[in-house]
Amino acid sequence: MRPVARFYRSVSRPGTVAQALFLVLVVALIASVTIVAQGNLDRLSVKSGYDFLWERAPFELGESLIDYSAGDTYFRAYLVGVLNTLKVAILGIVLSTVLGLFIALGQLSPSVVVARMCRLYIETARNVPLLMQLIFWYALMTGGLPRVKQALSPVEGVYLSNRGLVLPALELGGQGWVLFAALVLGLLLSAALLLWKRRSGVTGGALLLALALLCAPVLVTFLATGASVSLDVPELKGFNFRGGMTVSPEFLAVLLGLTLYTAAFNAEVIRGGIMGVPKGQTEAATALGLKRGKIMRLVVIPQAMRIIIPPMSNNYLNLTKESSLAVAIGYPEVVRVATVTLAETSQSIECISIIMLVFLSISLTTSLLMNWYNARAEVKSR
Amino acid sequence: MAFRTIVAAAAISLLGGVAAQAELLDDIKEKGELSCGTLNYLPGVGFLNDKGEWSGFNVDFCKAAAAAILGDPGKAKMVALTGPQKFPALDSGEIDILARSVTQTVSRETTLGYDFIGPNHMTGQGFMVPKDSGVTSVDDLDGATICVLGGTVTERYMADYFAFRGMTFTPVAADGSDQMYPMYFDGRCDAVTQEPPYMAIRRLRSGEAENHVILDDIISKSFEAPVIREGSPKLREVLQWMHYGMITAEEMGITQANVEEMVETSKDPNVRRFLGVDGEVGEGLGVSNDWMVNVIKAVGNYGEFYDRNLGKNSPLGVERGMNALWRDGGVLTAPGWQ
Repeated sequence: MRPVARFYRSVSRPGTVAQALFLVLVVALIASVTIVAQGNLDRLSVKSGYDFLWERAPFELGESLIDYSAGDTYFRAYLVGVLNTLKVAILGIVLSTVLGLFIALGQLSPSVVVARMCRLYIETARNVPLLMQLIFWYALMTGGLPRVKQALSPVEGVYLSNRGLVLPALELGGQGWVLFAALVLGLLLSAALLLWKRRSGVTGGALLLALALLCAPVLVTFLATGASVSLDVPELKGFNFRGGMTVSPEFLAVLLGLTLYTAAFNAEVIRGGIMGVPKGQTEAATALGLKRGKIMRLVVIPQAMRIIIPPMSNNYLNLTKESSLAVAIGYPEVVRVATVTLAETSQSIECISIIMLVFLSISLTTSLLMNWYNARAEVKSR
Repeated sequence: MAFRTIVAAAAISLLGGVAAQAELLDDIKEKGELSCGTLNYLPGVGFLNDKGEWSGFNVDFCKAAAAAILGDPGKAKMVALTGPQKFPALDSGEIDILARSVTQTVSRETTLGYDFIGPNHMTGQGFMVPKDSGVTSVDDLDGATICVLGGTVTERYMADYFAFRGMTFTPVAADGSDQMYPMYFDGRCDAVTQEPPYMAIRRLRSGEAENHVILDDIISKSFEAPVIREGSPKLREVLQWMHYGMITAEEMGITQANVEEMVETSKDPNVRRFLGVDGEVGEGLGVSNDWMVNVIKAVGNYGEFYDRNLGKNSPLGVERGMNALWRDGGVLTAPGWQ
């Protein structure tokens, strides 16, 4: 067949034409939306572009992992929002996994009472909309806990009121951040040692050495730089507790809501994974004389992981995205920052594109990590 | 919910408002209807009752505008909007006038591309605290936790005020005032901030009005005004002169009750000109000559309009203060009607 005819034939296949047409349509749609938006913005004489990120943000955000106050840039305000989103998402993922595991094991427990209780929890938690749960927990905290002047204090220095949980904090004096860096170094060193030990198959008491590696950098810098550590105990002064660290009711409500909601889904995924491991494996392990706990830990869970990880990644992604509902109860995460920025600048397209970019980045990173872990957990064909 | 609102706002800027921008006054007359963005949950300000009837200061402004332009206050169509929805709804052309107690500021007028009418309600940002807190002025609030409406100009004013005086505070941002006030009354915050009339409404409703005080300090001017999009000079003129007209009517002693009689019997050339008996002021503005008669029949003069909704004839009983006529110690006055 001549080349032209071959080209014609390949193009005339309906699939190719349809695909090309679809591509053209998508491009045309994007182009027309851009043109209309530009025209609308010009007509409304609204500024466009991301220059506003470097202007001063005239609002306070309440809680923040980094120093922030009104008058810092919008960029920094967004950073505060992103960090608050990450804080609640990471803690939520860890806690919902642990809780999910216990609930799953509880459901498989021979005790009927425990199994039924776990079932009840799962059905309740996953069948009530998350937004309602968040509002419920928040209302319970602000309405149910005592006022700040009558704060509950189970232990000296720990206070619980409807302003949140106030705890004593470690105060790093002088070269505090060097101490922190040393701690990170120690963690890395001991992790490297344990990894090396596993890879090389050397046996023997490396645990003590790892502990020494963990502590040594901190101790050395502590003695060398004269940094000091003191305990900052909160006390009621004026309106609020001063000093210490405060966990706000907004954060607690969001964390509680996300954890309890996602744990129900996680429990089902884990239960499915465990039940997906053939019964023969458990029986074989029992025949070898292993105890119930050890069977779970050494035989069943490692095999169940292969089934569990992909749907778990989904649950983790959902948890992260659903953390944006926190704006409804005033937790200063990224959507709250975008809302108040929108009110100040009226640049809605920019504000929403930043939200999208943030969640896309977080989700893709989570997916990447989970895929990597999944690849490791898969059965190696030898 | 705020997230959905932002999405809607972005979608509107992307897709909405494709219709050609013509003079809105002509559009409204052609449609035979005036759509007005307001709120539906604050009695005296903007309220929709269980019988489906709208009332309130903002609602009355819309009715007056419909009476002025279309001759019938019933032709105002109310659209209830949440705080974050208000500007996107105006930008997209979903509403013609935004009468939702929007605070007039220079940046909103310039960078957001709006025209403000009036201002027709002059107040400021204040604070309410529990009586037993011992707080007597805003300067006592250093270190306090303060409930604030998220995404409103009050966030900005409060941050500016505290930072300038070297004071600190922790904001708790609520998604709407229906959430904010329960938080305050539960003790989540030491104080709550908004314009005093709105705090008075909530205090009245809380059932523990005697336990809370609204501080005398006002930290910012909050001159509230109806808003339209820039680019309709004729509509702006009509609405601005309608506002002046309501003040003029109070100055002249023309009320809802006596306006018909004044049209029939008044010999005063100023009154006759104002009510359109003589001259063609209305037609010059692009509406009918008896337009102010329609407005006064619909909502009364400025004094009646204020007192019925916020003032002495309403449960709120807010003093007129700055919102009184200049001759009565307020700041309201209007240019001549020649």
